[in-house]
Formats: sequence, C-alpha cells, structure tokens
Amino acid sequence: MKKILALVLVAVMAVAIFASCTQSGTGGGVEYALVTKAAGNAYNEKEAEGFKAAMDAQGITSYVIKHPEKATVDAQIQVINSLIAQGVKSIAIAANDANALSATLKSAKAKGIKILTLDSDVAVADRLTFCNQAGVQEVGQALIDAVYDIAGGEGDYAILSATSQATNQNAWIDAMKKIAAADSKYSKLNLVEVAYGDDEPQKSTDQTQALLTKYQNLKVICAPTTVGVAAAAKVLQDKKSSVKLTGLGLPSEMAAYIGDDADHSCPYMFLWNPIDLGKLAAYASIALVKGEIDGTAGGTFKAGETTYKLTTVEGTNASEIILGPPFKFDPSNIAEWKKVY
Amino acid sequence: MAGKSGRTISATPNRSFLKTVLSWEGALVVIFIAVLVAGRIMSPSFTLDGVMFMMPQHLCQLFIVFPMAFVLIMGEIDISVGSIACLSATTACLAANAGLPLPLVIIICLATGVACGALNGFVLTKWPELPPMIVTLGTQIIFRGIAEVVIGAGSSLKYDSDNLSPFATYLGPVPIVFIVVIVVAALFMVLLSRTTFGRRLYAIGSNRIAAKYAGIGVNRMRFIVYALAGLMAALCALFLLTQIPAVKSDEFGKGFEMNVIAMCVFGGIATTGGKGNLFGAFIAGMTIVCLRIALGLVNVNDNVITIIIGVLLIVSVLISGISQILARRKLKNKT
Repeated sequence: MKKILALVLVAVMAVAIFASCTQSGTGGGVEYALVTKAAGNAYNEKEAEGFKAAMDAQGITSYVIKHPEKATVDAQIQVINSLIAQGVKSIAIAANDANALSATLKSAKAKGIKILTLDSDVAVADRLTFCNQAGVQEVGQALIDAVYDIAGGEGDYAILSATSQATNQNAWIDAMKKIAAADSKYSKLNLVEVAYGDDEPQKSTDQTQALLTKYQNLKVICAPTTVGVAAAAKVLQDKKSSVKLTGLGLPSEMAAYIGDDADHSCPYMFLWNPIDLGKLAAYASIALVKGEIDGTAGGTFKAGETTYKLTTVEGTNASEIILGPPFKFDPSNIAEWKKVY
Repeated sequence: MAGKSGRTISATPNRSFLKTVLSWEGALVVIFIAVLVAGRIMSPSFTLDGVMFMMPQHLCQLFIVFPMAFVLIMGEIDISVGSIACLSATTACLAANAGLPLPLVIIICLATGVACGALNGFVLTKWPELPPMIVTLGTQIIFRGIAEVVIGAGSSLKYDSDNLSPFATYLGPVPIVFIVVIVVAALFMVLLSRTTFGRRLYAIGSNRIAAKYAGIGVNRMRFIVYALAGLMAALCALFLLTQIPAVKSDEFGKGFEMNVIAMCVFGGIATTGGKGNLFGAFIAGMTIVCLRIALGLVNVNDNVITIIIGVLLIVSVLISGISQILARRKLKNKT
C-alpha cells in the first residue's frame, strides 16, 4: 500500500509541476519542419540540405530538420509527435510507410498543421500535397530524348525494364512510346524489344546479353531501373560493345561506367536531384502556411524563380507537385554525386 | 543483516522515512522530478498537454515492464516480447480486416500473446536446463518470422478499421492508455508484494533449489510468468496499434525487449534475480519516457537522445553498484 501511495504522490507532484505553468508554449519558435526517413540516409540528407538552403534564402530561421534515429515508422512517429507538441505550422515528411503514419497525421491535421510529403507519399487523405520527384511525362521525355541523342537520331533501341508488372517502369515506358509516336522527330527510332530483368542483377545481365545477340544493329539500351542499368552497364563495358546505355541509375553504382569515350558504356543517365526536391518541399511548406496554396489541384506558387503548379494525381482528387525533368548525371558531375547516393 | 544483500524475503518491511529517500527508488523519484523540471525549463512545449500528447506511443512499452520485472526477479530473461507484440498485432490486424467485432479482435490479439508466452513457458519448463536467453532468442526469431510470412517481407499490413480509436482518446488531459498503465501497475504491484505468488517469485530468484525443496512449484510459476509476459506484450501491441495502425514484420515492437529490460535494470531490479520492486521499475520507465519526450521537444538529434539514455543507464547501474560495495564493506568492518 505504501508503494501505491508513493506512486500516487509522485503522479500528483508531476501534475503539479506542469500545472504551475500551463500556459501553452509557442513551440520555441519552430514553424517549419522537415522529417526525413532516418539519420544516415545520404539521399535524405541532400533533401535536408535543399530544404535548409531554401529556408535560408527566404530568410526564415524558424525551421527544424529532424532525422529519426532509425528508418522505422515508430521512430518517425515519435519525431512527428514531438513536432506536433511544439506547435509547428507545417511538417514535410519523407514517409517510411504509406499506412502507418495515418493516426499521427490525422491528429496533426486536427491541430491545423499543414502536412505535405516528399520523396515517398502517404495515403492521399492524410496530406495536403506531395512533392513528386518523378513526373511520368517528364521521365518519359528525358529518356526518349536521351535515346534519340545517343543513337544519333535514328536506329534500333531496346528497353531493359524491371518486372512486367512494375507500375513505375510501365508508366515511364508507356510515356516514352506515346511521346515517340506523337512526334515525327522520333520516327526513325525503332524500339525492338522491351526485356524484363525483374530487378535481379543476374537476370538483367542475361537479358542484356540476349539483346546483344538477338539484335546486331542495336544502338542503344535504355534501362529505367537502377538494378537493370547497372547490370547492363557492366555487360556492355566488359564486352567493349559499341552499344551505348542510358536510363535511371544510382550515381554511386554507375560512376565506373559513365564517360564519353569508347571505354565507358554509359554517356549519361538520369535520376532525381534530392537537393532540388528539398527546396521544393521548403517553398511548398511556406506557400501552404501563408495560404498561397491549400493543397487543391490548380494552385500555383513561386519557388525561387520557378512557378510550380499543383496537379491532380491520376485517379484521385488529391494533388501533387512535380519537381520537373529528372536530373542528368554525366562525366562532369558524376564524381561529386557518386559520394551522395 | 542479510537484508543488505537483498536476498531475504522480509515479512515486515520496516523502513524509516530517511531510508526510503536514500533508497534507489527514492533516488529515482528525485531523478524523475529533476527530468520534469529540466524539461519544463528547456522547452516551453513541455507542458501537461504536450507531454500527455506524446505519451501514448512511449507508454505502450511500460505494459511489458511489469511482467519483465517478474521474469528478472526469478533470475531469468525473456527477449521474445518484442516479437510477441509484433505477432499479436499481426493477428489483430487480420481479425479486424476480416470484419470481426472489436471484442473478438481484442481476444484474438491477447490470445496470440498468451499462446506465444505459453510456448516459451512450455519449452522452458519441459526442458528446465535450457537457458531462457537462448530459448527466447529462438522464439523471438520464430514469432517475427511467422509475422513476416503472413505480412510479406518489406510490406506493411494495415489495421483497416478505426474501431480502436476509443483506446486512443483522452480523459481530460490524461490519455486512456496512461490510466490503464497505472491500473496494470497497481495490479502487478499488489501481486508481487501482497501475495504468496510474489513471495514465491523472490524465493525462486534468490535460490531456486531451496525454493523447490520448500515446496514451491517452480516450473508452474515459470510457466505462468512467461505466459503473463506474452499477455502483456499483446496488450502493448493493442495500444501501439492505436498509434501505429500498420504492422511491418521487421519493425513493429522491435527492440522493445531491450528497452524494457533497461527500464527494469534502471529501476533497481537485479538481472541475477531475487531483488528489486515494481515501483522502481515503473518510475524508471516513466523517467526514460519523459526524458525522451523532453529531449525530443528541444530537438536534440535522435541518435544523441539514445546515447544520453545509454549513459544514464550505465551511470545509474554504477551508482547502485558502488553503494552496494560500500554497504558490503561496512558490513565487513562491523563483523
């Protein structure tokens, strides 16, 4: 009984400490927050760098960047809850899971906090808008232009994709085909095959070799998947093949293959620029807090010099902001970016 | 004099006020209040509302502190509780997503926990010579493995219903989960300090062979305690689902066993058994929770928070170790 009494006493004391000064805090002046997936994620740290740069450029100091200790929803929710308790005005999140944050984000919404996502989205009902690093049209356009450029305007090309059901890859390949069909500029390009490496290094290697054997006049392989592009790059470079490669790849994995000369298999490739994505998230946060946009499609806001528009996510009434064309990695910048991700 | 070693079962706890303050639990209360005061000074958001808002997610782990204390007092360890929470949450999700009513979902969740705990208990009592650390390490992998098979590696299973929302509400400023934790704490405290069951736990932890010859059903007790740990891990999972409404097999409840053991040890429960009480463990748990909340509110880097708590644990164990050594010396000098 003594201990339970002590327990009650301690609880009362604890409450008394708070009660002594219950006027709600202003959150230490923090208004804007960025929550990354986890500490030590180089890609996310570049996003944070961009977020910081944009905030600094706007002369805003009342922001905080939080890296959860682990890439788990548990750690991320702890961080978001602490931001809610601080009474921030907006939280930009690179979500670790699409579903698991919903309870937390609903309570943030109930407190009037503007929630937006970047990098990886949550359920559309739980956020106002999503900063999308990869618009389908933009990726398709960049890839078909790269094929056109590397092939010299005409000739055979093949696509090495992930699995035949991969949503992203199929959308990008579809966009490439549509763009190529719509403009006579691309009429001399001939897509011979879409091969599927299933995002497995070995299968991607086998498929690349099969493409080389099957199509003697092949000029370019386009691999819109990081696994496929790395596998194909190695095959082409090891064989000293005249076939060139482009696609979407991780700079760190592709650095050894990127070059303009005959010794390198990939003249250039694409992925997203996390710094710009972080900047976009910062400007979108500011616009949301200032009320310039409210998360409905059609709204516009300025991010530095560029004006961005909120577009509708296909099949929903939710909005997203597309960062723009993917970022080009070529011999001039690959040395710097391979250290990043 | 044997009381100093903490290995007697004193029927008449006779402590003066000063002794209480100077005891480890007394020190913990002081540390706890210091954390609250420091938090209040450091962050304007460290208010009753702010803390209570962040509390539920942290508090879930406290459910496991109490049965873990029982396990430790018996001189054993159970490192499968995090995985039990994961598997219980998985079955709860499956049940809820199948459209079963809430009471049934709760029963299925808790039954999963009890079954997992009972499996630990069964193996450990069937083959008493097996070390609990290894057995529960095995079941830790098995339970999480089953969850992974059900959910699929890398994907998450959504709890597709909001019927748990009553458990996430507040009674005034106090979250429901806080009240439930207090009630559970009180029940476990009574069980440990007021019943023969509790006395037997200390007896087993102090000297298992003696306890056996004294007629205590050691294996029966162990079975019950492990099943109880499973039950509370499932209760933890149920409340955690109100905060994290989706289960990932490689994340849900991960590391809880170590957090909980840390809270127990910080609370003065000896991992060698026979010593410690639940009040200490509870205050220790609350101290760690409030410290995490306070440091989070002043935006201390998450990894630094973990380091600070680690250091605090080592220091606290050192202090209590030194005081024990001093007490023993004093005893020697007297004789």
